[in-house]
Amino acid sequence: MTTSLTTKRPRAATPPPTRRRRSPLGSKWTPYFFLAPAGLYLLIFQGFPLLQELRLSFTRTSLLNPSNNEWIGFDNFVKIFSSSQFQHTLWVTLIYVIVCVVGTISVGLGAALLMNGNFRGRSVARALVAIPWAAPAVAVALIATWMVDSQYGIVNRVLNAIGLGVPGGSILNSTTYALPAILITTIWQLFPFVAVVLLSALQSVPKDVQESAMMDGAGVLWAFRVVTWPVIKPSIGLLALLMTIWSIRRFELIWLMTRGGPVNSTNTLVIDLYSQAFELNDIGTAAAVGMVGVVISLLVVTASSYITRRAEQEDSR
Amino acid sequence: MKKFTVGTTVRVVFVLIVLGVAVFPLYWMFTTSLTSDSNLFGKTVQPFPDFSRMGVYVQALTSGNVPLWLLNSFVIAAGTCLLSVILGIPLAYALSRFSFRGKALAGVALFLTQMLPEALLVVPLFALFRQLGLLNSLFGLIMADTAFVLPIVAFILKGAIDAIPRELEEAARVDGCRPLTILTRINLPLIAPTLAAAAVISFFSGWNEYVFAVTFAADPHVQPASVGLAGFIGELSTPLQTVMAVSVVYTLPAVAFYLLAQKYVVSGMTAGAVKG
Repeated sequence: MTTSLTTKRPRAATPPPTRRRRSPLGSKWTPYFFLAPAGLYLLIFQGFPLLQELRLSFTRTSLLNPSNNEWIGFDNFVKIFSSSQFQHTLWVTLIYVIVCVVGTISVGLGAALLMNGNFRGRSVARALVAIPWAAPAVAVALIATWMVDSQYGIVNRVLNAIGLGVPGGSILNSTTYALPAILITTIWQLFPFVAVVLLSALQSVPKDVQESAMMDGAGVLWAFRVVTWPVIKPSIGLLALLMTIWSIRRFELIWLMTRGGPVNSTNTLVIDLYSQAFELNDIGTAAAVGMVGVVISLLVVTASSYITRRAEQEDSR
Repeated sequence: MKKFTVGTTVRVVFVLIVLGVAVFPLYWMFTTSLTSDSNLFGKTVQPFPDFSRMGVYVQALTSGNVPLWLLNSFVIAAGTCLLSVILGIPLAYALSRFSFRGKALAGVALFLTQMLPEALLVVPLFALFRQLGLLNSLFGLIMADTAFVLPIVAFILKGAIDAIPRELEEAARVDGCRPLTILTRINLPLIAPTLAAAAVISFFSGWNEYVFAVTFAADPHVQPASVGLAGFIGELSTPLQTVMAVSVVYTLPAVAFYLLAQKYVVSGMTAGAVKG
Protein backbone atom coordinates (compact mmCIF):
# COMPACT_ATOMS: atom_id res chain seq x y z
CA MET A 1 0.00 0.00 0.00
CA THR A 2 2.67 2.49 1.06
CA THR A 3 4.88 1.57 -1.87
CA SER A 4 2.16 2.23 -4.40
CA LEU A 5 1.54 5.61 -2.83
CA THR A 6 5.16 6.60 -2.90
CA THR A 7 5.55 5.51 -6.50
CA LYS A 8 2.42 7.27 -7.67
CA ARG A 9 2.56 10.58 -5.86
CA PRO A 10 5.80 11.99 -7.27
CA ARG A 11 4.74 11.03 -10.78
CA ALA A 12 1.68 13.19 -10.66
CA ALA A 13 3.85 16.04 -9.49
CA THR A 14 6.94 15.36 -11.61
CA PRO A 15 6.40 17.72 -14.58
CA PRO A 16 8.09 20.95 -13.61
CA PRO A 17 5.78 23.98 -13.36
CA THR A 18 7.27 25.65 -16.43
CA ARG A 19 6.25 22.71 -18.63
CA ARG A 20 2.80 22.83 -17.15
CA ARG A 21 2.30 26.35 -18.27
CA ARG A 22 3.50 25.47 -21.74
CA SER A 23 0.91 22.74 -22.10
CA PRO A 24 -2.47 24.13 -21.05
CA LEU A 25 -4.01 20.66 -21.12
CA GLY A 26 -1.57 19.32 -18.58
CA SER A 27 -3.52 20.82 -15.69
CA LYS A 28 -5.89 19.32 -13.17
CA TRP A 29 -8.56 19.55 -15.86
CA THR A 30 -6.70 17.19 -18.20
CA PRO A 31 -8.45 13.99 -17.03
CA TYR A 32 -11.85 15.60 -17.46
CA PHE A 33 -10.91 16.67 -20.96
CA PHE A 34 -10.35 13.00 -21.83
CA LEU A 35 -13.33 11.85 -19.83
CA ALA A 36 -15.85 14.34 -21.17
CA PRO A 37 -16.76 13.02 -24.64
CA ALA A 38 -17.59 9.48 -23.58
CA GLY A 39 -18.92 10.62 -20.22
CA LEU A 40 -21.40 13.04 -21.77
CA TYR A 41 -22.34 10.46 -24.38
CA LEU A 42 -23.13 7.85 -21.75
CA LEU A 43 -25.02 10.36 -19.64
CA ILE A 44 -27.23 11.24 -22.59
CA PHE A 45 -27.81 7.71 -23.88
CA GLN A 46 -27.71 5.69 -20.66
CA GLY A 47 -28.02 7.93 -17.60
CA PHE A 48 -30.76 10.22 -18.83
CA PRO A 49 -32.93 7.39 -20.25
CA LEU A 50 -32.53 5.47 -17.01
CA LEU A 51 -33.82 8.44 -15.03
CA GLN A 52 -36.66 8.83 -17.52
CA GLU A 53 -37.53 5.19 -17.03
CA LEU A 54 -37.48 5.67 -13.26
CA ARG A 55 -39.86 8.61 -13.58
CA LEU A 56 -42.14 6.67 -15.96
CA SER A 57 -42.46 3.88 -13.42
CA PHE A 58 -44.38 6.29 -11.17
CA THR A 59 -46.77 7.36 -13.91
CA ARG A 60 -49.67 6.01 -15.89
CA THR A 61 -48.42 6.33 -19.44
CA SER A 62 -49.46 4.79 -22.72
CA LEU A 63 -47.03 4.15 -25.54
CA LEU A 64 -49.60 5.62 -27.91
CA ASN A 65 -49.60 8.98 -26.13
CA PRO A 66 -46.39 9.13 -24.08
CA SER A 67 -46.42 12.86 -23.41
CA ASN A 68 -49.67 12.52 -21.48
CA ASN A 69 -48.58 10.93 -18.23
CA GLU A 70 -50.21 11.11 -14.87
CA TRP A 71 -48.22 10.78 -11.63
CA ILE A 72 -49.66 7.87 -9.68
CA GLY A 73 -46.97 7.26 -7.07
CA PHE A 74 -46.35 3.63 -6.29
CA ASP A 75 -49.54 2.36 -7.94
CA ASN A 76 -47.68 0.54 -10.74
CA PHE A 77 -45.53 -1.29 -8.20
CA VAL A 78 -48.52 -2.14 -6.02
CA LYS A 79 -50.30 -3.43 -9.11
CA ILE A 80 -47.51 -5.68 -10.34
CA PHE A 81 -46.62 -7.07 -6.94
CA SER A 82 -50.24 -7.97 -6.23
CA SER A 83 -50.71 -9.70 -9.59
CA SER A 84 -50.13 -13.43 -9.61
CA GLN A 85 -48.85 -13.15 -13.16
CA PHE A 86 -45.94 -10.98 -12.03
CA GLN A 87 -45.15 -13.34 -9.19
CA HIS A 88 -45.01 -16.07 -11.78
CA THR A 89 -42.67 -13.89 -13.85
CA LEU A 90 -40.34 -13.45 -10.89
CA TRP A 91 -40.41 -17.19 -10.34
CA VAL A 92 -39.59 -17.93 -13.99
CA THR A 93 -36.79 -15.36 -13.87
CA LEU A 94 -35.37 -16.95 -10.72
CA ILE A 95 -35.41 -20.42 -12.26
CA TYR A 96 -33.92 -19.14 -15.50
CA VAL A 97 -31.09 -17.28 -13.73
CA ILE A 98 -30.22 -20.07 -11.30
CA VAL A 99 -30.21 -22.82 -13.92
CA CYS A 100 -28.21 -20.63 -16.32
CA VAL A 101 -25.59 -19.74 -13.74
CA VAL A 102 -25.21 -23.28 -12.41
CA GLY A 103 -25.42 -24.81 -15.88
CA THR A 104 -22.98 -22.51 -17.67
CA ILE A 105 -20.44 -22.69 -14.85
CA SER A 106 -20.54 -26.44 -14.41
CA VAL A 107 -20.49 -27.21 -18.14
CA GLY A 108 -17.87 -24.50 -18.73
CA LEU A 109 -15.70 -25.76 -15.87
CA GLY A 110 -15.98 -29.32 -17.17
CA ALA A 111 -14.98 -28.23 -20.67
CA ALA A 112 -12.09 -26.15 -19.32
CA LEU A 113 -10.73 -29.01 -17.21
CA LEU A 114 -10.98 -31.36 -20.19
CA MET A 115 -9.13 -28.99 -22.49
CA ASN A 116 -6.49 -28.04 -19.97
CA GLY A 117 -4.59 -31.26 -20.56
CA ASN A 118 -1.99 -32.02 -23.18
CA PHE A 119 -3.34 -33.50 -26.37
CA ARG A 120 -2.93 -33.01 -30.08
CA GLY A 121 -5.05 -30.26 -31.59
CA ARG A 122 -5.53 -28.56 -28.26
CA SER A 123 -5.37 -25.06 -29.68
CA VAL A 124 -7.85 -25.91 -32.43
CA ALA A 125 -10.21 -27.37 -29.84
CA ARG A 126 -9.92 -24.24 -27.72
CA ALA A 127 -10.82 -22.05 -30.68
CA LEU A 128 -13.74 -24.22 -31.79
CA VAL A 129 -15.32 -24.42 -28.36
CA ALA A 130 -15.81 -20.65 -28.37
CA ILE A 131 -18.01 -20.74 -31.47
CA PRO A 132 -21.45 -20.75 -29.79
CA TRP A 133 -20.60 -17.66 -27.82
CA ALA A 134 -19.56 -15.84 -30.98
CA ALA A 135 -22.77 -16.61 -32.87
CA PRO A 136 -25.32 -13.77 -33.10
CA ALA A 137 -28.35 -14.31 -30.85
CA VAL A 138 -30.79 -13.98 -33.74
CA ALA A 139 -29.05 -16.73 -35.69
CA VAL A 140 -29.01 -18.93 -32.60
CA ALA A 141 -32.73 -18.42 -32.05
CA LEU A 142 -33.37 -19.19 -35.72
CA ILE A 143 -31.45 -22.47 -35.80
CA ALA A 144 -32.71 -23.53 -32.36
CA THR A 145 -36.30 -22.97 -33.47
CA TRP A 146 -35.72 -25.08 -36.58
CA MET A 147 -33.95 -27.82 -34.63
CA VAL A 148 -36.92 -28.26 -32.28
CA ASP A 149 -39.51 -27.92 -35.06
CA SER A 150 -42.42 -30.14 -34.10
CA GLN A 151 -42.47 -32.19 -37.30
CA TYR A 152 -39.12 -32.05 -39.04
CA GLY A 153 -36.73 -30.73 -36.41
CA ILE A 154 -33.68 -32.88 -35.80
CA VAL A 155 -34.19 -32.84 -32.03
CA ASN A 156 -37.72 -34.18 -32.27
CA ARG A 157 -36.68 -36.78 -34.82
CA VAL A 158 -33.94 -38.06 -32.51
CA LEU A 159 -36.18 -37.96 -29.44
CA ASN A 160 -38.89 -39.86 -31.29
CA ALA A 161 -36.39 -42.39 -32.58
CA ILE A 162 -35.22 -43.23 -29.06
CA GLY A 163 -38.77 -43.21 -27.74
CA LEU A 164 -38.53 -40.00 -25.72
CA GLY A 165 -40.72 -37.93 -28.00
CA VAL A 166 -42.40 -34.91 -26.50
CA PRO A 167 -46.14 -35.51 -26.11
CA GLY A 168 -47.90 -33.35 -28.67
CA GLY A 169 -44.66 -32.86 -30.56
CA SER A 170 -43.98 -29.17 -30.25
CA ILE A 171 -41.37 -28.39 -27.60
CA LEU A 172 -41.71 -24.62 -27.80
CA ASN A 173 -45.50 -24.82 -27.53
CA SER A 174 -45.36 -26.91 -24.39
CA THR A 175 -45.54 -25.24 -20.99
CA THR A 176 -43.36 -28.06 -19.65
CA TYR A 177 -40.60 -28.16 -22.26
CA ALA A 178 -40.31 -24.59 -23.59
CA LEU A 179 -38.32 -23.29 -20.62
CA PRO A 180 -35.90 -26.25 -20.58
CA ALA A 181 -35.37 -25.82 -24.33
CA ILE A 182 -34.55 -22.14 -23.87
CA LEU A 183 -32.30 -22.94 -20.91
CA ILE A 184 -30.37 -25.52 -22.91
CA THR A 185 -29.95 -23.04 -25.76
CA THR A 186 -28.74 -20.34 -23.36
CA ILE A 187 -26.29 -22.66 -21.65
CA TRP A 188 -25.07 -23.84 -25.04
CA GLN A 189 -24.38 -20.27 -26.04
CA LEU A 190 -22.75 -19.09 -22.80
CA PHE A 191 -20.70 -22.03 -21.52
CA PRO A 192 -17.82 -21.25 -23.91
CA PHE A 193 -17.28 -17.88 -22.24
CA VAL A 194 -16.94 -19.64 -18.90
CA ALA A 195 -14.64 -22.24 -20.41
CA VAL A 196 -12.35 -19.64 -21.99
CA VAL A 197 -12.08 -17.59 -18.78
CA LEU A 198 -11.41 -20.69 -16.67
CA LEU A 199 -8.88 -22.06 -19.17
CA SER A 200 -6.80 -18.94 -18.72
CA ALA A 201 -7.25 -19.10 -14.94
CA LEU A 202 -6.08 -22.73 -14.98
CA GLN A 203 -2.79 -21.60 -16.54
CA SER A 204 -1.68 -20.39 -13.13
CA VAL A 205 -2.37 -23.69 -11.38
CA PRO A 206 1.05 -25.07 -10.50
CA LYS A 207 1.37 -28.24 -12.58
CA ASP A 208 4.07 -29.91 -10.49
CA VAL A 209 2.14 -29.40 -7.27
CA GLN A 210 -0.90 -30.99 -8.84
CA GLU A 211 1.09 -33.94 -10.15
CA SER A 212 2.92 -34.53 -6.89
CA ALA A 213 -0.37 -34.36 -5.01
CA MET A 214 -1.74 -37.07 -7.29
CA MET A 215 1.45 -39.14 -6.97
CA ASP A 216 1.22 -38.98 -3.21
CA GLY A 217 -1.86 -41.08 -3.65
CA ALA A 218 -4.29 -38.25 -3.32
CA GLY A 219 -7.36 -38.72 -5.46
CA VAL A 220 -8.15 -36.57 -8.45
CA LEU A 221 -11.00 -34.92 -6.56
CA TRP A 222 -8.81 -34.15 -3.59
CA ALA A 223 -6.10 -32.68 -5.83
CA PHE A 224 -8.74 -30.55 -7.51
CA ARG A 225 -10.05 -29.28 -4.21
CA VAL A 226 -6.68 -28.47 -2.69
CA VAL A 227 -4.63 -27.35 -5.68
CA THR A 228 -6.94 -26.24 -8.48
CA TRP A 229 -9.99 -24.86 -6.70
CA PRO A 230 -8.22 -22.12 -4.68
CA VAL A 231 -6.68 -20.78 -7.90
CA ILE A 232 -9.88 -20.66 -9.93
CA LYS A 233 -12.22 -19.67 -7.10
CA PRO A 234 -11.99 -15.90 -7.74
CA SER A 235 -12.70 -16.48 -11.45
CA ILE A 236 -15.70 -18.64 -10.61
CA GLY A 237 -17.06 -15.91 -8.35
CA LEU A 238 -16.61 -13.34 -11.08
CA LEU A 239 -18.25 -15.59 -13.66
CA ALA A 240 -21.18 -16.26 -11.36
CA LEU A 241 -21.73 -12.51 -11.12
CA LEU A 242 -21.45 -11.98 -14.88
CA MET A 243 -23.69 -14.93 -15.71
CA THR A 244 -26.32 -13.72 -13.22
CA ILE A 245 -26.37 -10.24 -14.71
CA TRP A 246 -26.36 -11.52 -18.27
CA SER A 247 -29.18 -13.98 -17.56
CA ILE A 248 -31.32 -11.29 -15.97
CA ARG A 249 -30.93 -9.08 -19.03
CA ARG A 250 -31.13 -11.80 -21.73
CA PHE A 251 -33.76 -10.89 -24.25
CA GLU A 252 -33.34 -11.86 -27.91
CA LEU A 253 -33.14 -15.61 -27.48
CA ILE A 254 -36.27 -15.91 -25.35
CA TRP A 255 -38.23 -13.31 -27.25
CA LEU A 256 -37.54 -14.86 -30.62
CA MET A 257 -38.09 -18.45 -29.53
CA THR A 258 -41.28 -18.11 -27.46
CA ARG A 259 -42.16 -14.42 -26.77
CA GLY A 260 -42.53 -15.47 -23.13
CA GLY A 261 -45.15 -18.10 -23.93
CA PRO A 262 -46.78 -20.55 -23.93
CA VAL A 263 -49.02 -19.26 -21.12
CA ASN A 264 -46.17 -17.11 -19.73
CA SER A 265 -44.09 -20.20 -18.99
CA THR A 266 -40.93 -18.49 -20.29
CA ASN A 267 -41.91 -14.95 -19.32
CA THR A 268 -38.82 -13.52 -17.62
CA LEU A 269 -38.66 -9.96 -16.26
CA VAL A 270 -37.14 -8.50 -19.40
CA ILE A 271 -39.63 -10.27 -21.67
CA ASP A 272 -42.47 -9.05 -19.46
CA LEU A 273 -41.07 -5.53 -19.58
CA TYR A 274 -40.90 -5.54 -23.37
CA SER A 275 -44.33 -7.03 -23.94
CA GLN A 276 -45.95 -4.68 -21.39
CA ALA A 277 -44.46 -1.78 -23.33
CA PHE A 278 -44.82 -2.86 -26.94
CA GLU A 279 -47.75 -5.29 -26.91
CA LEU A 280 -49.93 -3.80 -24.18
CA ASN A 281 -48.68 -0.23 -24.81
CA ASP A 282 -48.42 0.29 -21.05
CA ILE A 283 -45.01 1.91 -20.60
CA GLY A 284 -45.72 2.95 -17.01
CA THR A 285 -46.12 -0.64 -15.87
CA ALA A 286 -43.26 -1.71 -18.13
CA ALA A 287 -40.99 0.82 -16.43
CA ALA A 288 -42.03 -0.46 -13.00
CA VAL A 289 -41.19 -4.02 -14.06
CA GLY A 290 -37.86 -2.77 -15.38
CA MET A 291 -37.05 -0.97 -12.14
CA VAL A 292 -37.69 -4.17 -10.18
CA GLY A 293 -35.13 -5.79 -12.47
CA VAL A 294 -32.63 -2.97 -11.89
CA VAL A 295 -33.05 -3.23 -8.11
CA ILE A 296 -32.56 -7.01 -8.23
CA SER A 297 -29.40 -6.61 -10.33
CA LEU A 298 -28.07 -3.94 -7.96
CA LEU A 299 -28.69 -6.23 -5.00
CA VAL A 300 -26.85 -9.03 -6.77
CA VAL A 301 -23.86 -6.79 -7.54
CA THR A 302 -23.76 -5.44 -3.98
CA ALA A 303 -24.05 -8.89 -2.44
CA SER A 304 -21.36 -10.21 -4.76
CA SER A 305 -18.87 -7.47 -3.92
CA TYR A 306 -19.60 -7.98 -0.23
CA ILE A 307 -18.97 -11.73 -0.53
CA THR A 308 -15.79 -11.15 -2.54
CA ARG A 309 -14.46 -8.71 0.04
CA ARG A 310 -15.18 -11.10 2.89
CA ALA A 311 -13.54 -13.98 1.06
CA GLU A 312 -10.46 -11.82 0.47
CA GLN A 313 -10.29 -10.87 4.13
CA GLU A 314 -10.54 -14.50 5.17
CA ASP A 315 -7.81 -15.47 2.72
CA SER A 316 -5.45 -12.82 4.00
CA ARG A 317 -5.92 -13.96 7.58
CA MET B 1 8.09 -39.22 -23.52
CA LYS B 2 4.44 -39.67 -22.81
CA LYS B 3 2.92 -42.70 -24.39
CA PHE B 4 -0.59 -42.99 -25.71
CA THR B 5 -2.58 -43.76 -22.57
CA VAL B 6 -6.13 -44.69 -21.73
CA GLY B 7 -6.46 -41.42 -19.86
CA THR B 8 -5.68 -39.26 -22.88
CA THR B 9 -7.96 -41.34 -25.12
CA VAL B 10 -10.88 -40.83 -22.77
CA ARG B 11 -10.05 -37.17 -22.57
CA VAL B 12 -9.92 -36.80 -26.35
CA VAL B 13 -13.25 -38.59 -26.72
CA PHE B 14 -14.87 -36.20 -24.24
CA VAL B 15 -13.26 -33.19 -25.89
CA LEU B 16 -14.69 -34.35 -29.21
CA ILE B 17 -18.14 -34.65 -27.63
CA VAL B 18 -17.91 -31.11 -26.23
CA LEU B 19 -16.75 -29.78 -29.61
CA GLY B 20 -19.51 -31.67 -31.37
CA VAL B 21 -22.13 -30.11 -29.11
CA ALA B 22 -20.55 -26.67 -29.56
CA VAL B 23 -20.36 -26.82 -33.34
CA PHE B 24 -23.39 -28.90 -34.27
CA PRO B 25 -26.13 -26.22 -34.43
CA LEU B 26 -24.09 -24.09 -36.82
CA TYR B 27 -23.17 -27.17 -38.83
CA TRP B 28 -26.85 -27.98 -38.96
CA MET B 29 -27.66 -24.49 -40.15
CA PHE B 30 -25.22 -24.97 -43.01
CA THR B 31 -26.43 -28.49 -43.80
CA THR B 32 -30.06 -27.37 -43.82
CA SER B 33 -29.23 -24.66 -46.33
CA LEU B 34 -27.82 -27.35 -48.63
CA THR B 35 -30.61 -29.92 -48.39
CA SER B 36 -33.44 -30.39 -50.86
CA ASP B 37 -37.06 -29.99 -49.77
CA SER B 38 -37.76 -33.67 -50.15
CA ASN B 39 -34.87 -34.50 -47.84
CA LEU B 40 -35.74 -31.78 -45.31
CA PHE B 41 -39.35 -32.83 -44.98
CA GLY B 42 -38.96 -36.54 -45.71
CA LYS B 43 -38.95 -39.57 -43.49
CA THR B 44 -35.18 -39.72 -43.07
CA VAL B 45 -32.57 -37.11 -42.20
CA GLN B 46 -29.84 -36.04 -44.61
CA PRO B 47 -26.83 -35.72 -42.31
CA PHE B 48 -24.35 -34.06 -44.68
CA PRO B 49 -24.55 -30.93 -46.85
CA ASP B 50 -25.16 -31.47 -50.56
CA PHE B 51 -22.58 -29.19 -52.13
CA SER B 52 -24.18 -29.39 -55.55
CA ARG B 53 -26.83 -27.06 -54.15
CA MET B 54 -24.45 -24.15 -53.45
CA GLY B 55 -26.48 -22.10 -55.95
CA VAL B 56 -28.96 -21.52 -53.13
CA TYR B 57 -26.47 -19.01 -51.71
CA VAL B 58 -26.41 -16.94 -54.88
CA GLN B 59 -30.20 -17.04 -54.94
CA ALA B 60 -30.52 -16.15 -51.24
CA LEU B 61 -28.10 -13.26 -51.42
CA THR B 62 -29.87 -11.65 -54.35
CA SER B 63 -33.45 -12.25 -53.24
CA GLY B 64 -35.77 -9.64 -51.76
CA ASN B 65 -34.25 -7.24 -49.29
CA VAL B 66 -31.34 -9.50 -48.35
CA PRO B 67 -28.58 -7.37 -49.95
CA LEU B 68 -30.07 -4.26 -48.33
CA TRP B 69 -30.24 -5.96 -44.92
CA LEU B 70 -26.60 -6.96 -45.08
CA LEU B 71 -25.61 -3.50 -46.26
CA ASN B 72 -27.55 -1.88 -43.40
CA SER B 73 -25.98 -4.26 -40.91
CA PHE B 74 -22.58 -3.36 -42.27
CA VAL B 75 -23.23 0.39 -42.03
CA ILE B 76 -24.54 0.07 -38.46
CA ALA B 77 -21.62 -2.13 -37.48
CA ALA B 78 -18.98 0.12 -39.05
CA GLY B 79 -20.53 3.23 -37.53
CA THR B 80 -20.76 1.65 -34.09
CA CYS B 81 -17.16 0.53 -34.40
CA LEU B 82 -15.90 3.97 -35.39
CA LEU B 83 -17.89 5.92 -32.82
CA SER B 84 -17.22 3.64 -29.88
CA VAL B 85 -13.48 3.49 -30.58
CA ILE B 86 -13.24 7.27 -30.98
CA LEU B 87 -15.10 7.80 -27.70
CA GLY B 88 -13.53 4.81 -25.97
CA ILE B 89 -9.86 5.76 -26.44
CA PRO B 90 -9.89 8.99 -24.40
CA LEU B 91 -12.13 7.40 -21.78
CA ALA B 92 -9.76 4.46 -21.38
CA TYR B 93 -6.81 6.84 -21.21
CA ALA B 94 -8.45 8.93 -18.50
CA LEU B 95 -9.26 5.84 -16.44
CA SER B 96 -5.82 4.34 -16.91
CA ARG B 97 -3.45 7.28 -16.48
CA PHE B 98 -5.07 9.89 -14.30
CA SER B 99 -6.36 10.06 -10.80
CA PHE B 100 -9.22 12.48 -10.44
CA ARG B 101 -12.21 13.11 -8.26
CA GLY B 102 -15.02 10.69 -8.95
CA LYS B 103 -12.79 8.14 -10.67
CA ALA B 104 -14.02 5.23 -8.57
CA LEU B 105 -17.59 6.33 -9.19
CA ALA B 106 -16.95 6.52 -12.94
CA GLY B 107 -15.57 2.97 -12.92
CA VAL B 108 -18.54 1.60 -11.02
CA ALA B 109 -21.04 3.49 -13.19
CA LEU B 110 -19.32 2.13 -16.27
CA PHE B 111 -19.61 -1.41 -15.00
CA LEU B 112 -23.23 -0.94 -14.00
CA THR B 113 -24.14 0.00 -17.56
CA GLN B 114 -23.42 -3.63 -18.41
CA MET B 115 -26.23 -4.52 -16.06
CA LEU B 116 -28.93 -2.49 -17.80
CA PRO B 117 -30.91 -4.52 -20.31
CA GLU B 118 -31.37 -2.92 -23.73
CA ALA B 119 -35.06 -3.69 -23.35
CA LEU B 120 -35.19 -1.45 -20.25
CA LEU B 121 -33.82 1.62 -22.01
CA VAL B 122 -35.61 1.01 -25.27
CA VAL B 123 -38.72 2.98 -24.23
CA PRO B 124 -37.01 6.17 -23.01
CA LEU B 125 -34.55 5.99 -25.89
CA PHE B 126 -37.47 5.65 -28.27
CA ALA B 127 -38.92 8.90 -26.87
CA LEU B 128 -35.54 10.64 -26.97
CA PHE B 129 -34.88 9.51 -30.54
CA ARG B 130 -38.29 10.66 -31.67
CA GLN B 131 -37.49 14.14 -30.37
CA LEU B 132 -34.07 14.11 -32.01
CA GLY B 133 -35.47 12.73 -35.27
CA LEU B 134 -33.29 9.61 -34.99
CA LEU B 135 -36.03 7.01 -35.47
CA ASN B 136 -35.88 5.04 -38.71
CA SER B 137 -32.30 6.10 -39.25
CA LEU B 138 -29.13 4.06 -39.37
CA PHE B 139 -27.37 6.83 -37.50
CA GLY B 140 -29.82 6.52 -34.62
CA LEU B 141 -29.12 2.79 -34.37
CA ILE B 142 -25.40 3.51 -34.40
CA MET B 143 -25.87 5.95 -31.50
CA ALA B 144 -27.87 3.46 -29.43
CA ASP B 145 -25.55 0.51 -30.11
CA THR B 146 -22.49 2.62 -29.26
CA ALA B 147 -23.91 3.50 -25.85
CA PHE B 148 -24.01 -0.18 -24.96
CA VAL B 149 -20.64 -1.32 -26.30
CA LEU B 150 -18.65 1.78 -25.31
CA PRO B 151 -18.01 0.67 -21.69
CA ILE B 152 -16.71 -2.70 -22.86
CA VAL B 153 -14.43 -1.06 -25.43
CA ALA B 154 -13.16 1.34 -22.76
CA PHE B 155 -12.36 -1.50 -20.33
CA ILE B 156 -10.50 -3.45 -23.00
CA LEU B 157 -8.43 -0.43 -24.03
CA LYS B 158 -7.77 0.58 -20.42
CA GLY B 159 -6.23 -2.83 -19.78
CA ALA B 160 -3.85 -2.35 -22.70
CA ILE B 161 -2.86 1.19 -21.71
CA ASP B 162 -2.27 0.03 -18.12
CA ALA B 163 0.36 -2.33 -19.48
CA ILE B 164 2.42 0.42 -21.16
CA PRO B 165 5.29 1.59 -18.94
CA ARG B 166 4.72 5.16 -17.78
CA GLU B 167 8.39 5.94 -18.39
CA LEU B 168 7.68 6.16 -22.12
CA GLU B 169 5.21 8.94 -21.47
CA GLU B 170 7.54 10.68 -19.04
CA ALA B 171 10.17 10.98 -21.76
CA ALA B 172 7.68 12.50 -24.16
CA ARG B 173 6.42 14.85 -21.47
CA VAL B 174 9.92 16.09 -20.75
CA ASP B 175 10.22 16.82 -24.47
CA GLY B 176 7.18 19.04 -24.09
CA CYS B 177 4.46 16.85 -25.59
CA ARG B 178 0.87 17.54 -24.59
CA PRO B 179 -1.25 14.73 -23.15
CA LEU B 180 -3.27 14.41 -26.35
CA THR B 181 -0.10 14.09 -28.42
CA ILE B 182 1.25 11.53 -25.97
CA LEU B 183 -1.93 9.51 -26.32
CA THR B 184 -1.99 9.54 -30.12
CA ARG B 185 1.76 9.29 -30.80
CA ILE B 186 2.92 6.98 -28.02
CA ASN B 187 0.05 4.99 -26.55
CA LEU B 188 -2.09 4.27 -29.58
CA PRO B 189 0.63 2.67 -31.74
CA LEU B 190 1.60 0.47 -28.80
CA ILE B 191 -1.93 -0.81 -28.21
CA ALA B 192 -2.68 -1.38 -31.90
CA PRO B 193 -3.51 -5.11 -31.52
CA THR B 194 -5.91 -4.43 -28.66
CA LEU B 195 -7.36 -1.55 -30.60
CA ALA B 196 -8.05 -3.93 -33.47
CA ALA B 197 -9.73 -6.35 -31.09
CA ALA B 198 -11.88 -3.57 -29.62
CA ALA B 199 -12.83 -2.57 -33.15
CA VAL B 200 -13.88 -6.15 -33.92
CA ILE B 201 -15.95 -6.36 -30.77
CA SER B 202 -17.77 -3.08 -31.32
CA PHE B 203 -18.25 -3.84 -35.02
CA PHE B 204 -20.00 -7.11 -34.28
CA SER B 205 -21.98 -5.77 -31.38
CA GLY B 206 -23.52 -3.44 -33.96
CA TRP B 207 -23.80 -6.29 -36.47
CA ASN B 208 -25.58 -8.56 -33.99
CA GLU B 209 -27.84 -6.01 -32.33
CA TYR B 210 -31.55 -6.73 -32.54
CA VAL B 211 -33.66 -4.98 -29.86
CA PHE B 212 -33.03 -1.38 -30.92
CA ALA B 213 -33.17 -2.26 -34.59
CA VAL B 214 -36.54 -3.96 -34.35
CA THR B 215 -37.99 -1.18 -32.21
CA PHE B 216 -36.53 1.92 -33.85
CA ALA B 217 -36.47 0.83 -37.50
CA ALA B 218 -40.02 0.28 -38.67
CA ASP B 219 -39.03 1.38 -42.15
CA PRO B 220 -37.87 -1.69 -44.15
CA HIS B 221 -35.21 0.43 -45.85
CA VAL B 222 -33.19 0.79 -42.65
CA GLN B 223 -33.74 -2.70 -41.25
CA PRO B 224 -30.57 -4.72 -40.71
CA ALA B 225 -30.10 -8.45 -41.21
CA SER B 226 -30.84 -9.25 -37.55
CA VAL B 227 -34.37 -7.91 -37.93
CA GLY B 228 -34.81 -9.44 -41.37
CA LEU B 229 -33.70 -12.88 -40.18
CA ALA B 230 -35.81 -12.71 -37.04
CA GLY B 231 -38.78 -12.02 -39.31
CA PHE B 232 -38.24 -15.44 -40.89
CA ILE B 233 -38.95 -17.22 -37.60
CA GLY B 234 -42.42 -18.66 -37.75
CA GLU B 235 -42.88 -17.43 -41.29
CA LEU B 236 -43.46 -20.11 -43.91
CA SER B 237 -43.45 -18.46 -47.33
CA THR B 238 -39.65 -18.18 -47.64
CA PRO B 239 -37.89 -21.47 -48.45
CA LEU B 240 -36.06 -22.79 -45.41
CA GLN B 241 -32.85 -23.22 -47.43
CA THR B 242 -32.87 -19.51 -48.27
CA VAL B 243 -33.44 -18.59 -44.63
CA MET B 244 -30.58 -20.79 -43.46
CA ALA B 245 -28.28 -19.58 -46.23
CA VAL B 246 -28.83 -15.94 -45.22
CA SER B 247 -28.32 -16.96 -41.62
CA VAL B 248 -25.01 -18.65 -42.45
CA VAL B 249 -23.78 -15.59 -44.33
CA TYR B 250 -24.83 -13.41 -41.39
CA THR B 251 -23.23 -15.66 -38.77
CA LEU B 252 -19.91 -16.61 -40.37
CA PRO B 253 -18.09 -13.25 -40.24
CA ALA B 254 -19.20 -12.69 -36.65
CA VAL B 255 -17.91 -16.07 -35.55
CA ALA B 256 -14.64 -15.80 -37.50
CA PHE B 257 -13.72 -12.35 -36.22
CA TYR B 258 -14.82 -12.98 -32.66
CA LEU B 259 -12.58 -16.00 -32.48
CA LEU B 260 -9.65 -13.83 -33.55
CA ALA B 261 -10.41 -11.25 -30.88
CA GLN B 262 -11.52 -13.76 -28.25
CA LYS B 263 -8.68 -13.26 -25.79
CA TYR B 264 -9.24 -9.50 -25.64
CA VAL B 265 -13.02 -9.74 -25.34
CA VAL B 266 -12.73 -12.02 -22.36
CA SER B 267 -10.17 -9.86 -20.59
CA GLY B 268 -12.17 -6.70 -21.22
CA MET B 269 -15.43 -8.08 -19.96
CA THR B 270 -13.95 -9.62 -16.85
CA ALA B 271 -11.80 -6.54 -16.12
CA GLY B 272 -14.92 -4.42 -16.02
CA ALA B 273 -16.49 -6.72 -13.49
CA VAL B 274 -13.41 -6.81 -11.27
CA LYS B 275 -13.55 -3.05 -10.91
CA GLY B 276 -17.20 -3.10 -9.95
